[in-house]
Amino acid sequence: MARYQNIFTQVQVRGPLEAGPRMHNSTFTRSGAGGYHYWLGKLGAAQIGPVYLGPLGMASLTFAFLAFEIIGLNMFASVGWNPIQFFRQLPWLALEPPGPQWGFQLLVPLAEGGWWQMAGFCMTTSLLLWWLRTFRRARALGMGTHVAWAFGAGILLIITLGFIRPMLMGSWAEAVPFGIFPHLDWTAAFSIRYGNLFYNPFHCLSIAFLYGSTMLFAMHGATILATGRYGSEREIEQITDRGTAFERGALFWRWTMGFNATAESIHRWAWWFAVLTPLTGAIGIILTGTVVDNWYLWAVMHHYAPSYPGTGVVDPASLPGAPQ
Amino acid sequence: MSRFLDRIAAASIGGLGILLLGGCELGPKQATQTGYRGTGLEQIVDVKHIAKVSLIPPAPYPLPPDGGPTAGESYQNIKVLNGVSKERFDHLMAEISQWVAPPEQGCNYCHNPENLASDEKYTKVVARRMIQMTQNINSRWSSHVKETGVTCYTCHRGNAVPVNKWALAQGTPNPGSILGNRHGQNAPEANVGYASLPSDPFAAYLNENQQIRVAGNSPFPSRDHVASIKDAETTYGMMMHVSTALGVNCTFCHNSQSFRAWNLSRAQRATAYYGIRMVRDTNENYIGSLQTVFPAYRKGPHGDPYKVNCTTCHQGISKPLSGVSMIAQAPALKGVSKPTAPAEGGPAAATNVPAAFNDPQAMTGTK
Amino acid sequence: MALLSFERKYRVRGGTLIGGDLFDFWVGPFYVGFFGVVTAITASLGTALIFYAASLGPTWNPWLISIAPPDLRYGLGLAPLREGGLWQIITICAIGAFVSWALREVEICRKLGIGYHVPFAYGFAIFAYVSLEVIRPWLLGAWGFAFPYGIFSHLDWVSNTGYQYLHFHYNPAHMLAVSFFFVTGGALAFHGALVLSAVNPAPGEPVKSPEYEDAFFRDTIGYSIGTLGIHRLGLFLALSAGFWSAICIIISGPLWTRGWPEWWTWWLNLPIWS
Repeated sequence: MARYQNIFTQVQVRGPLEAGPRMHNSTFTRSGAGGYHYWLGKLGAAQIGPVYLGPLGMASLTFAFLAFEIIGLNMFASVGWNPIQFFRQLPWLALEPPGPQWGFQLLVPLAEGGWWQMAGFCMTTSLLLWWLRTFRRARALGMGTHVAWAFGAGILLIITLGFIRPMLMGSWAEAVPFGIFPHLDWTAAFSIRYGNLFYNPFHCLSIAFLYGSTMLFAMHGATILATGRYGSEREIEQITDRGTAFERGALFWRWTMGFNATAESIHRWAWWFAVLTPLTGAIGIILTGTVVDNWYLWAVMHHYAPSYPGTGVVDPASLPGAPQ
Repeated sequence: MSRFLDRIAAASIGGLGILLLGGCELGPKQATQTGYRGTGLEQIVDVKHIAKVSLIPPAPYPLPPDGGPTAGESYQNIKVLNGVSKERFDHLMAEISQWVAPPEQGCNYCHNPENLASDEKYTKVVARRMIQMTQNINSRWSSHVKETGVTCYTCHRGNAVPVNKWALAQGTPNPGSILGNRHGQNAPEANVGYASLPSDPFAAYLNENQQIRVAGNSPFPSRDHVASIKDAETTYGMMMHVSTALGVNCTFCHNSQSFRAWNLSRAQRATAYYGIRMVRDTNENYIGSLQTVFPAYRKGPHGDPYKVNCTTCHQGISKPLSGVSMIAQAPALKGVSKPTAPAEGGPAAATNVPAAFNDPQAMTGTK
Repeated sequence: MALLSFERKYRVRGGTLIGGDLFDFWVGPFYVGFFGVVTAITASLGTALIFYAASLGPTWNPWLISIAPPDLRYGLGLAPLREGGLWQIITICAIGAFVSWALREVEICRKLGIGYHVPFAYGFAIFAYVSLEVIRPWLLGAWGFAFPYGIFSHLDWVSNTGYQYLHFHYNPAHMLAVSFFFVTGGALAFHGALVLSAVNPAPGEPVKSPEYEDAFFRDTIGYSIGTLGIHRLGLFLALSAGFWSAICIIISGPLWTRGWPEWWTWWLNLPIWS
């Protein structure tokens, strides 16, 4: 039982730090030589850095910093610059989007949602610049751009929530506030306003892909760790020249459930499940309020809302005597 | 050194665990099913945390039989209770001083002892209007208070001013600035169960007739139904108030499969529907009319008198005073029987409430 | 189904936990074993009972079929078949099938000479299921607290059970679970994408080595956890998601009955603020 289970690295190797392969077409060189971190080395690689900063990275970080500051300072101001109350009430504090009276107006007074627009603009710009960075870093190393497109799916969901859907609805008030508890309030209110989001089929799909992704990572991660003694973590090698590690892993699943992925295809399953989570989620968000206003009634119409024994209660406002 | 750090880490993790558990309720629970099995429609309460009912005071003396000269014949300046017998009028006065007036002042809290008929004290004018209000609630709003009825004690509980009340919120000092501006939300506020939801649902829903219903009326968007997410958040805040006031959760009235569908809701939801209208009527027509009567120290920061909400009577219990009726002790408060108030669903109720919500399945023409 | 080209050398006797050689064989690609037999029996019985229970209900529409647990008044006792009894037997079958499936995985691991990480991970999923259907109902004293077997009816249960706490998103364990789910999804996307981008490089480029994978993440965010570490991290994140999901529902009711937002008042009332 006390066998090595590959949960932590027992022996850490220390040698010259990896500098990384040569990059094509890059403005800068990598910053720093990197260093070792013992506790990180317990779980994964011990080496931190070097990092490639680059113009895109610096621009992205600048915008991220601006968004962070705008949000943080607005919250700080909302408690009258009281540092103790800022920390105490932080989970409740928010930077709210403009109210419905502003529609989808481009420039709203700062205190009434303009700061939210600026923060949203800075955050989106930061994300898009970072997206470009992931694309360019992959190309600089001569690699595929799969990471960028996966990241792009997540960005799409964020932009859908904060820009595309508010634009389609013609109201910034539809967008999500910045804030820990307030964004949760928004989520719940969104479901209540649109008649129960659980009946939105794309929400169902998104959740299924989210749970599916988690299950896939558990299955894949566990399989790799279980076959680690055969060198399973060298996945690229196993893809190009399958060895006993992936043969065993594949047979485990084949014998368990009659089907197995391969070293490469498991990563395609993973990529699609993970990417379809925000993608289907974004579709569900876009359809809500624009195409469907009440998902429960829509589900009733399409015969997928269960009916329970009626209570016989009727809407008092529909009784005789109510103003007609 | 690292062992010392380990110990600190272990101690803080343990401390945090104790802290989090300390925030929990460890005692025995009571559960009631409020809907079809397997739908998650239940009330689970921690027995220790059920709100305590304040002790109902015994009658000052036994209720005298009706008959004999009326109060109108016996006293001067009687405007509301003229038809009540003098004996019972006196009994009610004794009850009011027990239920409302500070004990050290007694009758003198409202009356000039030299001239009991005088209206010189504002409290007497208020009390008269409150008697009318109570009669109005017991007759016109029997849809909410049923046969149980209310008396002064339901709200006052021995206090000159009921403990649970509200006035228009202070609001943001300068709406054009972000300084101290919470936009009416995003603060831990007991009114809305400590969520960061809009924390003053009262002005819009309990003083004005703002539409509480936000869910769409039809599967498809319509120009006739525009409600933003912010409206939904305000409604949510209002419902947090109702739940907290009654010590119940959302499934006491609703099946969240569709918060709006009435055929999925319990009868309690219709009771609450009338309750909200009752509170509006009370605030607008009875308390609001005393605007000029109350002295400044009995008003809120905006100079409006303190008004009622669900907590004023309920105080954490779904039936105020656990459903004990005190009206038999004070029959004069029943008032003359009036037709019960008709239902209304806020502005444009009739167009906004399609039959679909009484029977959504009917929409499809199939069962 | 045909054997994979390399499969024959791995199909060996032994490694069973129970039953010796008796069930030590394969049916097509499936390994059987004692626990395979148990799984087959419990799963078939459970499925058949689901169909039977559905036949008693009003509909064959797969979205609407719902097999509900008993009313609360039956407590932890047995209920009549049509009033939750079938739900009870189906639950027993499900747990039997899940657990024996996990043990069958253990036997397969032993045959292949690999670690038990997969059945261990699967155990977290079983734990989450058992939390919902057994542990929490048992703590609250009635099977009626469990969720019904139906595609959309179980969502109604989730929704209503959430609204029993006024605003379930404020449940701290739920916050952790959702965060872990999202982070797992992100990490899986990045891991899958990174491997694919190394073996499907830019046009005209050779397939890349793990050094390039590491360099990509170091260049981008300053750290690459490495080929082994990402699987440890992924497993940890995924299991944490399942674990905290289970915790978030176990504490709802047994340890907290009011609105979850109100729970946070302990934070507001800490003595450190004054």
